[in-house]
Amino acid sequence: MRLGLALTAGDEGPGAALAEAHGLFGVLVDGPAAGAEAVAAAGAAAATEAVRIAVRLRLGHEHPVTLAEEIAVLDNAANGRIVVVADVGRLDAAEAAEDVTLLQRCWAARPVRHEGIRWRVPAGIDGHDAPEVVEVTPKPAQVAVPVWLAGAAAAAASERLGLPVLADRPEDCDRDRLVQPGLVDLTGALEADRGAVGAWRDAGATHLFVRLPGGIDIAESLVAVSRFLAPEVGMPSFPRVIAESATPAAWPGRGAGA
Amino acid sequence: MRFGVGLWCLQNTATVPRHHVTAYRELREDAQLAERLGFDSAWLSEHHFFYDGYCPALLPAAATMLAVTQRLRVATGMLLLPLQDPVRVGAGARALADRSGGRFDLGVGLGYRDVEFDGKGVPRRQRAARLAAGLEALESTVSDVPLWIGSATPTGVARAGSRGHGVLLSGANPLPLVRELAAAHRHGWDAAGRPGGRRPPIAALRNVWVTDDAAEREAVLDWVRASYVLYAGLGWSVAAQGETSAMDFRRDVGRALADAVGTTIIGPAPAVVDGLREVAEAGVDDVVFRLVIEGAPRTALHDVMRRLSEEVMPQLAGLDAA
Repeated sequence: MRLGLALTAGDEGPGAALAEAHGLFGVLVDGPAAGAEAVAAAGAAAATEAVRIAVRLRLGHEHPVTLAEEIAVLDNAANGRIVVVADVGRLDAAEAAEDVTLLQRCWAARPVRHEGIRWRVPAGIDGHDAPEVVEVTPKPAQVAVPVWLAGAAAAAASERLGLPVLADRPEDCDRDRLVQPGLVDLTGALEADRGAVGAWRDAGATHLFVRLPGGIDIAESLVAVSRFLAPEVGMPSFPRVIAESATPAAWPGRGAGA
Repeated sequence: MRFGVGLWCLQNTATVPRHHVTAYRELREDAQLAERLGFDSAWLSEHHFFYDGYCPALLPAAATMLAVTQRLRVATGMLLLPLQDPVRVGAGARALADRSGGRFDLGVGLGYRDVEFDGKGVPRRQRAARLAAGLEALESTVSDVPLWIGSATPTGVARAGSRGHGVLLSGANPLPLVRELAAAHRHGWDAAGRPGGRRPPIAALRNVWVTDDAAEREAVLDWVRASYVLYAGLGWSVAAQGETSAMDFRRDVGRALADAVGTTIIGPAPAVVDGLREVAEAGVDDVVFRLVIEGAPRTALHDVMRRLSEEVMPQLAGLDAA
């Protein structure tokens, strides 16, 4: 299982850079209000070059074509590192499935024509010479943007869409999926956090975002994450002697010991 | 006079192809250069459903620029407000302002392409009402973010002035029209009792290039021409927006292109300085150099940004709009 960091709203750039420096697989942009998601994620992307950037995108109100355009721009600005956590909010499973499907069609390299219960694209409202299809551009940098689901109807929508659900509890993990993401709150106490993270690994999670407690020093906390937690869930029976032995000596520089 | 540069559109075009990842990386680098060279602002532009990936989402593009700069202002010129939920736009603008130390300017316009309205399910006939309602929402939710309106008619700019908003005027506007619109904007602000207490600024895109070389001059004028061919392809037409008769890229492409190229201020630095004095005399507070144009290689873009910064902007620093 791999670990990622859930970022604090307003601090996405420095938080993401720290997560990358600590070797985590990715970050979760989780805090911002609807409309600020892609803005906040772009800050995380500009501060990093390697971490995957999962962004919680709130569905239900804004047109999926507009949301798809934002994510496509963001994915190009992030060199193809975006994962969308589609938060279905108050949508029921059928509505959520429609919105997510429309997002994916906008990202696909085909013109879009969609007639559903919530949306019609193109709308055909201006009559006579309205187009039959539209091409939503630019395309994301990735061939297909990974989509994970979140929200009340996520599990039911997942049955229709075949997409992973970002789990809130280890018992919601599906070990038959190649990708099973989760989100856990850490306490800052090593033994408790070991137990929490280990339970997710045992439940079959593959990508677990850790949310650090408020008011804690992120840089310091990430030392514990990268030194103890990540290795311990990164292989069966990690030999703890490696993490518990002294850190290799710092290079003193030439001439310092003369 | 303040100095902006634009318009970044993030395209991958038929005649100047590139990867969109490259386009966004270059956008960040260009923003950093603009900041180093002392430009005040950098401006972005929006369209939808076009083959070249013309940027359809300006707030994340602005975010990537603001994330790599410390002083430069980043502005949308224009975000097509009728096509989006203004509450959501306000949340994005709020996030940009908070994360950049207040360096984001939000310019909004109507939009004009039928397919963009139809693609988003917005009846085109509602666009003016939606813009007005959207502005009202933004005035209350992001009152600390400067708002700019894109308009090419005296009525439109007067309305912007009456609400205390700045305006951004098109680069294709001939200077007499710029003068007329600037006057209408001031009058609108005066007639409304000077809301805000401080006159809102008038920005104008201008086609400008510093060169001492005849061959470069010829190339630049061709880049300006090519850059307006794009708008002919998009179906842009000021005549379709209001009562202005000029600049109809749908009715007479050849004439409209020639007129647009004819607005260009080009030559050695002293000639450009003189041309920009005339722009200031027309009532313009912020000139936005229209430098990111079809065909202009980045080396040429960076070269002219440097020349403007070193040879032109210092000559005009203390100049105020007439």
